[in-house]
Amino acid sequence: MTYTVLARCPRTGHVGIGIATYSICVGQYCDGLQSRVGATMTQAFVNQGNNGLALRLLAQGFAPARIIDELGLNDPYHDYRQIAVIDREGGVAAFTGPKTRGWAGHRIGDGCVAFGNVLAGPNVVEAIAAGYAADPDAPLERRLLRALESGRDAGGQRGAQGHLTERSAALRVFSDFDYADLDLRVDLHDHAVDELRRCFEEYEPYRAYYRERGRNPHDAVPQDVFVARLKASKAEARA
Amino acid sequence: MTFSIIGRCARTGRLGLGITTFSLAVGGRCEGVKANVGICKTQAFPNRGNDPLGVTLLAAGYAPARVMAMLAANDPDHDWRQIAIMDREGNIAAHTGSNTRGWSGHATGSDCVAFGNGLVGPAVLDGLIAGFLDDPTAPLEFRLMRALEGGRDAGGQGTATQHKPERSAAIKVVDRLDYPDIDVRVDVHPTAVQELRRVLEEYKRYEVFYRERGRDPAHAIPQDVFAAQLEAAQR
Repeated sequence: MTYTVLARCPRTGHVGIGIATYSICVGQYCDGLQSRVGATMTQAFVNQGNNGLALRLLAQGFAPARIIDELGLNDPYHDYRQIAVIDREGGVAAFTGPKTRGWAGHRIGDGCVAFGNVLAGPNVVEAIAAGYAADPDAPLERRLLRALESGRDAGGQRGAQGHLTERSAALRVFSDFDYADLDLRVDLHDHAVDELRRCFEEYEPYRAYYRERGRNPHDAVPQDVFVARLKASKAEARA
Repeated sequence: MTFSIIGRCARTGRLGLGITTFSLAVGGRCEGVKANVGICKTQAFPNRGNDPLGVTLLAAGYAPARVMAMLAANDPDHDWRQIAIMDREGNIAAHTGSNTRGWSGHATGSDCVAFGNGLVGPAVLDGLIAGFLDDPTAPLEFRLMRALEGGRDAGGQGTATQHKPERSAAIKVVDRLDYPDIDVRVDVHPTAVQELRRVLEEYKRYEVFYRERGRDPAHAIPQDVFAAQLEAAQR
């Protein structure tokens, strides 16, 4: 019971993930991204060692399809996993184990994988892929967020008792560094995708400020001054 | 304007970080927590490269004091940073740059270092450490949580006349595996420490279920069934 978009932006080479699920604190499992190396995610019944191993194999030059085979050979419960792998050139492979539950599947697009399990149906992964593809010129994080919202709007997750709400969600993007460019999470919420959008829009105006005050602290204004300016410019925009 | 604690559980060797601040999504800037290696956390005006570099140096075998000296030598703006480093044996180095703003400082206690800037005063560090030491038999994540609550209750961020709320918070604990044992976050919230307590308590109810369904999927019950059992048990 999770739906995810994993992607590499062909313009910038940035890699990212957008994920939403009924499980709480899902962001903690999204440790499969590395700048200029690639992106991977294992979900459904998670083997938490997979992401680290797959990243190391990507760094060594193994192809995504070969990496999924290798993860399979390393794991007696491979059939319970759902896995996507993208390399630094946008090469993609995905696997939906036959023992993942509910409607489960993946759809491979241009440098992206939409995949999920315990979903309302195949239209959910179709919608995620379409949401991602809708505006190729947009920044990767906005494409990922839109993909998640499309998955939500297409029905999202459905268990035996009907629709399952998104209780956690996460958005992560890596560009060139050893740390994430963007790393946002909603860990426990009744409508985590909506809340992730709220957090993103709230955080977005701060991003450049946070980056620059670290790079050039001499010229940084205090954050309360920055917040006051932000409020003033928002009020001006409304007027 | 941030207050943080890094700590080590002497019983288990687990390492962890608790952090809260007025800034948004602070948990997304805590990559310097590495199992079997140690912790490096830079705040105030952070050099984002410091934490990955710091844990790489720890992994290479450098002592925290030497890592700190190397970070200083690598960064013309070291005076603007506040940094705490702990290796897997609990050895500590801490630095509060002279250009960090507001009341800033660090203090060490048994198996921990508390550090912060833009605080109401040194009592916040005392509150962090007292919270951490309150129950040494508790799991590390709860000791870190108590520490953050102790710092908050001692006044947290701001000045004598103006309090600044905690808008984001995070706790991360690593043990022996590549990925964290505990990794909970609140990114945008008016009272983030309180909300982090709520998230942590809820996550702890699921922790074993999540771990075991991955390790032994053939015997895992569906999560909606598990959630219903949890609710029934609570009633």
